[in-house]
Amino acid sequence: MASALRPTLIRQAFAAPAKQLLSRNASSLGPAARASLLPQVRAGLVRDALPASRAGFHATGAKAILTPLPETIQGTVNDPAPVPPPSPLHGSYHWTFERLLAVGLVPLTVAPFIGGSLNPAMDAVLCAALVIHSHTGFTSCITDYIPTWRMPKIRKACDWLLKFATVIAGVGLYSFETNDIGLTAAIARVWKA
Amino acid sequence: MAALRSSARLARSLRVPPPSFARTYATLNPAVAVSEATSQSTPVKGSKGTVQEPAPSKEPKIKTFHIYRWNPDEPSTKPRMQTYTLDLNKTGPMMLDALIRIKNEIDPTLTFRRSCREGICGSCAMNIDGTNTLACLCRIPTETTKESRIYPLPHTYVVKDLVPDMTQFYKQYRSIKPYLQRDTPPPNGKEYLQSPAERRKLDGLYECILCACCSTSCPSYWWNSEEYLGPAILLQSYRWIADSRDERKAERLDALNNSMSLYRCHTILNCTRTCPKGLNPALAIAEIKKSMAFT
Repeated sequence: MASALRPTLIRQAFAAPAKQLLSRNASSLGPAARASLLPQVRAGLVRDALPASRAGFHATGAKAILTPLPETIQGTVNDPAPVPPPSPLHGSYHWTFERLLAVGLVPLTVAPFIGGSLNPAMDAVLCAALVIHSHTGFTSCITDYIPTWRMPKIRKACDWLLKFATVIAGVGLYSFETNDIGLTAAIARVWKA
Repeated sequence: MAALRSSARLARSLRVPPPSFARTYATLNPAVAVSEATSQSTPVKGSKGTVQEPAPSKEPKIKTFHIYRWNPDEPSTKPRMQTYTLDLNKTGPMMLDALIRIKNEIDPTLTFRRSCREGICGSCAMNIDGTNTLACLCRIPTETTKESRIYPLPHTYVVKDLVPDMTQFYKQYRSIKPYLQRDTPPPNGKEYLQSPAERRKLDGLYECILCACCSTSCPSYWWNSEEYLGPAILLQSYRWIADSRDERKAERLDALNNSMSLYRCHTILNCTRTCPKGLNPALAIAEIKKSMAFT
């Protein structure tokens, strides 16, 4: 009941100032200006185009980010879908490397705290592994959500942005290791704080 | 009985149809109309409003079904949900029974695929109450307070109402060469023999009926159906990779060895959860990945 009532109340509240505004405009401006203002003001304040249940919450219409294209069929319907050439570097090697790295990160993360020795060499290995791990993780996000066939330019830009961000992160971690206390020591300190 | 039926028909012809009786589609099957003629039938409204059960029984269990409608003949009209009510006492136990009953008795314009009505053909795959499943294997929840919603398979191009376009799916199936490939003739000159253990490897793979429930439930397939093969096709691919009689295992694996075809699987496991046949496409994909990992 309340949800059905609310949008109508809101619309009434919007409709009333619109009328006042229009009357004030009418007094100060000539009739021609009033005529040109009328549809814009009405469109801005009285949202008839939106369904009643959404009028109270959404000021603008829904905007789809990547609307689906009309269906296209490569070749005839009886042709097989194209098979890409084998590239193990982006396929099986990449996947295996990702898994090994992820598995290796577990002991690397735990070892300094269990061993109790905060070794700069171990720290360096952990930082390098972390940077590469997050890089491959974000790469697969980009591959998933920004298809090359659909948005080649944005894809290229995102790839370079990620490379840039990885370098920044690497440089930041390097300077943190060399000039400050180092990653594991920082975690240990935050843990105790 | 025949006399009763003919008198009922006579009575029906005498009855003047109400003025609101305006149909936008072909008339109902007269045989059905006869069976319903013993009681006053409610007029069927236009295709926009709620379409009522023609004649409720004594203790009706009225269930509401909201069904996705879109007509390609009116491409500028937005898809809409149409509401039907059915008496569950007169309807079979499965969702497909309800759909067939709606099509036969209430609204013949409702369009869906169905063939075997027992989970063998995979035609009636659709999204029922938020889950991709076969309408013929999905029981109607008997709780009448809950309304059922039926949509076509998600993220597919819709041909009409509940009929999705499976062109890309079948093209991808064709691309994995789903047939036995051999160069050497059979050793005994007659047939390719297989040990029981080798045959057992195909259990859980050969049962797949390609209904596309799993592929269309996979978010990765939603985003990348142009390039990613999807769980159903990968399960089928593994069915031929695992077959001891097939001699093109290396070629089959090479065809998957790129960033898109196989490795867009992120082990989301929607495929295994939704499979109406109880198969495990995610396990098959994991087996492919494993066999490619350390070679």
